[in-house]
Amino acid sequence: MGGIPVGFLLKKKDSRKRIEKEIGKLINSKSIEENKKRLKDRLKDCDDIVYKEFTAGKEQIFKFLLVYTDGMSRGDLLNNAVLNALMIHAREVPPDAREPGEELYRLVRYGGLPASELTDNDNLEDAILSILIGDAVLFIDGTEKSIIIGAKGWPKRSVSEPNTESLIRGPRDGFTETFRENTALVRRRIRDHRLKLKQLRVGRRSFTDVGVMYIEDIVKPELVEEVLQRIKTIEIDAIMESGYIEQLIEDNYLSPFPQINITERPDEVAGSLYEGRVAILVDNSPFALIVPTTLNSLFQSPEDYYDRWYISTILRFIRYFASVLSLLLPALYIAITSFQPDILPAKFVISIAAARQGIPFPAIIEAFLMEVTFELLREAGLRLPVPIGSAIGIVGGIVIGTAAVDAGIVSPIMVIIVAVTAISSFSIPNYNLSVGFRMLRFFLMAIAGVFGLYGIMLGIVLILSHLVKLKSFGIPYMSPYVSSPASDLKDSIVRVPTFLMGKRPVLLARNIIRMKNNRQLINQLEQEKDGNDKK
Amino acid sequence: MIKNDDLVSPYQIAMIIIMTVISVGVFSIASDAANAAGPDGWLMVAFAGAVNILAVLVIVILNSRFPGKTFAEYSQVILGTILGRLLTMMFTIYLIFATAYVVRSFTEVIKMFVLFRTPTEIIMLSLILVCTYIVRSGVECVARINELIFPILFIPFLILMAFGLPSADFSNLRPFLQASPVRMLSAMPALAINYAGIELALFYIGFMENPKKAYKPAIAAVLFITFFLTIVTALCIAAFGQNMTAYFLWPLMSYIRLISMPGLFVEHLQGIMLSLWMLSVFTNIVSVYFVMSYSISKIAGTKEQKQYVLPLAMVIYYFALQPDSLVSHYELAKAVLPYFIILFLYVVPVILLLIAKLRKLEVK
Repeated sequence: MGGIPVGFLLKKKDSRKRIEKEIGKLINSKSIEENKKRLKDRLKDCDDIVYKEFTAGKEQIFKFLLVYTDGMSRGDLLNNAVLNALMIHAREVPPDAREPGEELYRLVRYGGLPASELTDNDNLEDAILSILIGDAVLFIDGTEKSIIIGAKGWPKRSVSEPNTESLIRGPRDGFTETFRENTALVRRRIRDHRLKLKQLRVGRRSFTDVGVMYIEDIVKPELVEEVLQRIKTIEIDAIMESGYIEQLIEDNYLSPFPQINITERPDEVAGSLYEGRVAILVDNSPFALIVPTTLNSLFQSPEDYYDRWYISTILRFIRYFASVLSLLLPALYIAITSFQPDILPAKFVISIAAARQGIPFPAIIEAFLMEVTFELLREAGLRLPVPIGSAIGIVGGIVIGTAAVDAGIVSPIMVIIVAVTAISSFSIPNYNLSVGFRMLRFFLMAIAGVFGLYGIMLGIVLILSHLVKLKSFGIPYMSPYVSSPASDLKDSIVRVPTFLMGKRPVLLARNIIRMKNNRQLINQLEQEKDGNDKK
Repeated sequence: MIKNDDLVSPYQIAMIIIMTVISVGVFSIASDAANAAGPDGWLMVAFAGAVNILAVLVIVILNSRFPGKTFAEYSQVILGTILGRLLTMMFTIYLIFATAYVVRSFTEVIKMFVLFRTPTEIIMLSLILVCTYIVRSGVECVARINELIFPILFIPFLILMAFGLPSADFSNLRPFLQASPVRMLSAMPALAINYAGIELALFYIGFMENPKKAYKPAIAAVLFITFFLTIVTALCIAAFGQNMTAYFLWPLMSYIRLISMPGLFVEHLQGIMLSLWMLSVFTNIVSVYFVMSYSISKIAGTKEQKQYVLPLAMVIYYFALQPDSLVSHYELAKAVLPYFIILFLYVVPVILLLIAKLRKLEVK
């Protein structure tokens, strides 16, 4: 039992056990030696843990132990705020203090450490967790209390422009891998005490920080409750990325449509919070999750609100149109060439037939061949390093573009269709959604190959049924197009002028008044000016 | 938390009524009307619509006496358990016939215009099975799909109709009011079949939070239907004249085939028309299908309606296969369906309302 007198241990034994039972954790020992032994026992073979023992005071009788993880704590902060400071302050303890341990602790805790983030601690389990998270723990001889010093600091990426969602107009900052920086980026946009951040630790081994953000008086309380409950059901060893959380809490895991929006942009998160949604931020991931998500919100980009309204409206029309094209175009080609050539003008039909002459495959094989080749190229281009990626582009261009046509494997029209489909699917703002559309495109191509136009309609009806059935955290996925009041339609495929968007989405928000229409006031000002001029 | 609340909003009631009524009837109504009343056919259609406003009013009044209850439930309150169940059973049988009729008509059109060699059975089965997916998900989803498809269907539909205006000659509609009132009245049953579907409000209003809010949407829905069918009839008669129109099986289809806009990318519009029509047939079947499985679950006294959906698919399929040919199909339909429709759209609601009033039955 180290250097502790046996009598002291016997006296305190009962109360100590009681406390341990209450908090369910092993509380610290009074002796530094014992604490160090226990720590080393638990953190055996963890060679990146630093144990810095030092003494201070006039007679060098006060013993301290500073423990932290090398590389995860800021060495300069620890040098300045702990080592440097203590070696001066500990001298000032009156030598005749009755209980030097407690006295010393109080002095150090409240007067001795020039660091901003200090927490009291009295048990080893929390201390070990703090050490592993990157904080430092200071043990003081003679007291059971230890001090956790917030000294997290590890090599990290600085805030930079998000790669996956670039905008023409809008802020350039994006989330990083550091949880705290991400919450700060959101907080900077919502300086309201009603912006709440509830932090949880998920993962038995990874202890990943997961933050649930919402604005208290806008969001519906049952939504926050639902999100927290779903996250609390997760029991897993590690959360590597927000994608883990996304897959573990989403409503329908079979659906091709993403039911949780992911974004790298703090302004999109802030905008969603103002609409009454809930954001989930996860440590080690630059992607925040936004729930509930609707199909409509996946077609939106934060830019839509920064640009003038008709620009946004036109862009949204284009995006919806592009998604329909990327879904239907190859299927329509199959259906029309093999079942209903008569719905096109005769001249066009003839030119298609001429182009298809000599092609050994039926339209459906031709279309599948080209679409699969294109998907392969896309995937290859993504995985390769950038310099080689461009080579793939050239090879792909030649293979899809000219060689396949010259060789008589596919018709030139098919090439055009693949190209248009590809461009369309790139103009869907959400990557996950465009992947969903890609999958459904193959489904529609198959069904069009069997039933023609009728098959496409069957497919569309099935997709619509599925969309209508889908819900994301209690909100219909197709809202505001279904079961929503008309005012929600102001921010759908059309985006009305900003001064008319006086209400938050009624389905989402509890407190729906967002702003007052200031047009009249401006007009009034104008009239007054006119009146003055006339005088 | 936010579970399926199985509620239908007033707006959705209107959508359900419109999307149910406008299905296969749109294509043949002009022919029926021209047969019945010559150039006055479109007036007949409008008149029938006015009658149906009264019918829907009776339905809403009846339903608002029993908030939160559908026909399957309050008929048991009004008539007693056994009679109520029998009536519901009859209703269900009628709905099975009606759906089989719609499925068969649609399949025949598909076979005639699009898929010439595909077996009838495959087309029918694929259509019915696609419908089961949404019917199994409950009334909320049925209402939403109606709401979603309404604009997808009607915006292009009306635009298409407008393309045909140059070929319409409105002097064909004259002279007005030539048909004798007797002839007009005797033609009513033949037209009633085109308004089938309004009686589903007997069920769907029961899913509303407050049935009193159903007055406006129900009347608006019937007005919209009347307006739409009248326009279709008038345009067809204007384009073809009464004799030609009466001769066609599907005048609307022929009307769409007339359209040829120089420079239009799509030359023959009947492909698009059929695609749109497929949507309206789909919503019709879905709405009817749901009521079918729901009322069977009420007759059997079970809570869920899901388990009846797939077996019902087989029943519908069986009945849809019965007619040997298109002619016998239409003859069969005309022999059976109009009486059922008149019974459930006009007679039953009035009788139930009277009994409820006399017995002072009301749920508060």
